[in-house]
Parts: sequence; structure tokens; C-alpha cells
Amino acid sequence: MSERFDTFSPPPLKPDPRETSAEAAAADEEASLDPRAAAALLDRTKRRAERLLELRPTWLTLSAAVVVLVCYGVLWVSVRDQHPYRGPTGWALGVLYGTLAIWIVVNAVVFRRATSGVGGRAARQRAIIGPGVAVIWICVYIVQGALYHAGASRAIAYGIWPAAGPLIMVGSAAAAYEAGRERAASAGLAVAAVVLGSLACFAGPRAVWGVIAVGLCALLLAATAARLGQRRT
Amino acid sequence: MTAEELDPLIHAPSRLRIVATLAALSDGDTLSFSRLQELTGLTAGNLITHLRKLDDADYIHSDKSGNGRASLTSFTLTRTGRAALDDYTTALRDLLEQLPRSTT
Repeated sequence: MSERFDTFSPPPLKPDPRETSAEAAAADEEASLDPRAAAALLDRTKRRAERLLELRPTWLTLSAAVVVLVCYGVLWVSVRDQHPYRGPTGWALGVLYGTLAIWIVVNAVVFRRATSGVGGRAARQRAIIGPGVAVIWICVYIVQGALYHAGASRAIAYGIWPAAGPLIMVGSAAAAYEAGRERAASAGLAVAAVVLGSLACFAGPRAVWGVIAVGLCALLLAATAARLGQRRT
Repeated sequence: MTAEELDPLIHAPSRLRIVATLAALSDGDTLSFSRLQELTGLTAGNLITHLRKLDDADYIHSDKSGNGRASLTSFTLTRTGRAALDDYTTALRDLLEQLPRSTT
């Protein structure tokens, strides 16, 4: 083993029969690589690496669309017949937080798998995002409390704001982050979410949940379709 | 353009795997030796030999942190390495476009 790279990994307990290092490397040099085979190997390796290092795989974005539809949809069902408006019911909040808890665990597993062994500047930046989003989300509830404390109606404090607030605040932060990384498609999706959240406020405390459920689900599906189309080309 | 003109440092199955895998990282990210080994499917010895060649050509940059058994070496593609892969990909594409003409 090379002196420079002797600490890459612990030494194997048993000699690996495939382990011929320099000989294998020399054989690799001599192995004739047809241009077509090289192109196929390059494409296959890139796709595999991108898939295994992908932080937001396509299936996760698709399931996000379902989670949004379920969470906001359940809240809309629980408030749609309320006159006067009181706010989401206990069972709806239970479904919401239960679904969110599962969603967070799934995301954490995907994130951990994708970032295993990955370090560096971009990885350190990502590590700041999690706590940052958590603080922004907490601030949504702080503002909600402040609104209610200031005398805002239940329609605003338990309807319009908790429905649109997370979308506007988290979406704005995401748009700024993605724009900073020059990812136009992701920044565009985040801006579209902010616009959706803002316009949905006009739907009123009951319909705002339904409008965001359908609108955000459609946005996520469109983003997934765009990504798949981009990959094909 | 012929196959012989392709960058010989990249135009070898193992090194092509290594460079293509490192190119999939986001700009500024590094990959540990063990994860690189897992993603390329190469044996440790084979991987070390090829990494040394790529390092000598300044195609990759290695960074070692920690001491002894707890040490961790991670790798990233340098600008030179990324440019070399881009050139290689372009040359390969040109070569593939020529192939049907040469076989007819």
C-alpha cells in the first residue's frame, strides 16, 4: 500500500483474493476500453453516483406531494363546515403531526444515507439548513401567538396565518438559498410556493387549506415532471 | 479523433469510475475513501493505486484529517480534473459520432 494513503481504511483481517493493487491497476490500464463501452460506463457510473448521493430523489419529491395533499387536505376537511370558524380539530392535527413525524424520519434516513462519507464546504452549508428551517418554522408559531395576543380573529390566527405562513416564510428562505447556489429551477419552485401562499390568503380561513393542498401538490408534481424530463434530455 | 487520443488518465475503467463518481458531488463537497470505494466497487489496493495516479496529475485533491486509526482521508475533483473530464466527455462524444461513418 502507498505510504501516502496508508490510513484510508483499516487493514483487512484476511487477504482479499481480488486484492492485487498494482497488478490489478496495470491490468486495468491494458484493458481495451472501446469508446462505446467507455461512454456506457461513464453514463452508468454518473447515474449511479448521482442516485446514491441524491439528497432529494424523485420518489421523495413525489411523496412530498402526497404528504402535502394529506396534511392540508385533512385540515381543510376538518374546517370546511365550521360556521363560525374555530380552527383545525384535534383529530386533524393528530393526522397532521403523525404524518409530519413519519415524513421527517424518512427524510432524515435519506439525508443520512446520501451524505454518508460526504464532507466539505457544501456539506457544512447543508448542516446549517436543518436548524435554520426549524427556527423559521418555530417563528411561524410565535407570530401566530402574537397575532392572537394582539386581538386577531381565530380566522386569521388559526386559519389564514398557519396555513400560508409556513409556505411564505420557509419558501422565502428556500428561494434565497437556492438562488445563492444558482439553482434556477429550485429557486423558481420556492418562489412559486411563496406566491401560492400569498394568493391563497384571499381564499379565506377555510378554503385556504384546500387551495394550498391542491396548489402545492400540483407544484411538486410539476417540479418532479420537469426534473424527469431534464434527466431524459 | 481516435480512441488513442482520449486522455489516458481517464480512459481506463477504474479511473473513469473514480472521476465520474467524484464529478457527481456538489461543488465544494468531498468524499471519504470508504464511500468512494463503496460507490466505485474497487478493492482498497486498486483504488489507492489509481487515486495516486490521479493525484499526481492534479486531477483530484486529497485531504487528511485526524490521526492514527481515526484518521479520515477524503477526496474531491480539482478544477483541472473537472475540466479534464469535460474534455474527455466531449472527445468521447465526437468519437462516437464518427464511429457509424467509419464502420459503413
